[in-house]
Amino acid sequence: MLVNRTLVFLNVIACCALISLTAKFVIWPPVAKMVFKDNYQELMFQCDNVMREHLIAKTRVMTEKSEQSLLQLDAAEMGLVTCHDYDVLRKKMRQAGISAHELSLMGLEVIEAKAKNLYEFVDIHEIKY
Amino acid sequence: MSLLISMKSNTNRLRSFAVILLCVTLSYKTYGVERAELIRNAVLSNGFVVSQELYDDTDSHLATVGKAFFESEHLSLNGQIACSTCHINHAGSSDGIPNAAGVRGIGESLERLRSGAKIVPRNTLGLWGVGALAHKTFFWDGKLIAQDSGVLSQFGTRPPSEDPLVTAVHLPAVEIRETLEEDAFVKANKSESVDGVDLVYAAILDNLREYEPDAVEEIASTFEIESSDLSFLHVARSVAAFIRSEFRIKTTRLEDFALGKTELTPSELLGAEIFYGKGGCAVCHRGPLFSDQKFHTVPVPPLGFGKNGFGADYGRFNTSFDPGDLYKFRTPILYNVAKTAPYGHGGSMRTLREAIDSHVDPLGLVDLTSLDGFGRHEYSKVLAASDMVGSVQFISSEEIADLIDFLNTLSF
Repeated sequence: MLVNRTLVFLNVIACCALISLTAKFVIWPPVAKMVFKDNYQELMFQCDNVMREHLIAKTRVMTEKSEQSLLQLDAAEMGLVTCHDYDVLRKKMRQAGISAHELSLMGLEVIEAKAKNLYEFVDIHEIKY
Repeated sequence: MSLLISMKSNTNRLRSFAVILLCVTLSYKTYGVERAELIRNAVLSNGFVVSQELYDDTDSHLATVGKAFFESEHLSLNGQIACSTCHINHAGSSDGIPNAAGVRGIGESLERLRSGAKIVPRNTLGLWGVGALAHKTFFWDGKLIAQDSGVLSQFGTRPPSEDPLVTAVHLPAVEIRETLEEDAFVKANKSESVDGVDLVYAAILDNLREYEPDAVEEIASTFEIESSDLSFLHVARSVAAFIRSEFRIKTTRLEDFALGKTELTPSELLGAEIFYGKGGCAVCHRGPLFSDQKFHTVPVPPLGFGKNGFGADYGRFNTSFDPGDLYKFRTPILYNVAKTAPYGHGGSMRTLREAIDSHVDPLGLVDLTSLDGFGRHEYSKVLAASDMVGSVQFISSEEIADLIDFLNTLSF
């Protein structure tokens, strides 16, 4: 009787473990990808933007140091806060089981989103030589 | 008697009319001659050089060997793409599409773009005049410049050659997405040091020994060395010799006009007046190659995802990191410009008329409603940075047609 109960108990634990592991490694990653993808791509775009502006502001101070350029650099540094949000979400998505490769692909998708314009351009204008 | 008087006065009238007509015609011809001389002087005083004097002698045998490498897909380590894939002779030495189609494509030009090739977000530059003595600034963003002190490039203090064209030939071979796939070998050796690319060049040469044995033997015998002693530099020198020979500037109608061998048509003369006058074209399109080899901002319509992604392209800034260089690109060479459509660093202008309009009436080319917020934001910054203020005056549609007629005199 005790053995049976123990076995049932262990079975229940095993089933719960199996269900949890399936949820964590099989079900949750694609669901998380669907849930977070748009936000991730938007934050990636925003972070890329602020980083580029920060680089420009930094180089501007190097080439033409003035009160204006220093103020612009301060503002650009403040703007980098956006990248903190991007970083946090990225870590969250990695914890959810989404691979670094998948995250890179999502990033590339948004970086090159305007490639669509290129295909439309050549289709509409029938570029030929 | 009255009839006789009437006839006599009619004859006098006719005679007077003929004299006036003759004077007008003579004065027009004189004015036409003066105009042609004015243009001729403008051509010569803006740095024109006859085609024969643009080059040193080229080693024709080396050029022949270089042709084989120029057309070989094995000059790309793993991308199965040749120089001639994008630099197509019958497409004006470019490829006829807005952005270049790099690795993972099949075929060339439009077919290659549609086959899923990796997009290189810049318009393929034509090779006309690239090997000329006066050609100092390479690529849209000047990532290679020949200065008196030496070649300035990503190779830093170790350029493979003091010949800028030979060094330039080295660059596409190690450009990921352009001719290089990022496979395990490339990833392992991907760095920002020259040592890393040396490994890639060595691997390319091993490839050439295996797949282009005849060309390798030929070049080894040209340099009088064993094929095992060959380096990528030898290959690059042969490709450079081929480019100098194949894409050499030839005699044009403008040259014949400048030397007094022919005359331009009235519309070509009018176009030349605009080019050297109120159009302000010669402010930047000057010198032996009709390019000042410097960097300027022209507010061309945006197309594609751009070098910086999301539709942005910072141009020369990506190389110099000088904020003053934001959105600047090298002045294109105008020889054979009529053959190298589409135009602009992103290839967003299909015709010469649109290319001219981007200088004169840029807002007429862009459908602002088709841009998203970031696209309009970027375009407004390009407009603000434009170099057209103070140099380009307004010209009409008819004047643009004359200007195009003039630019056609640079074709060969």
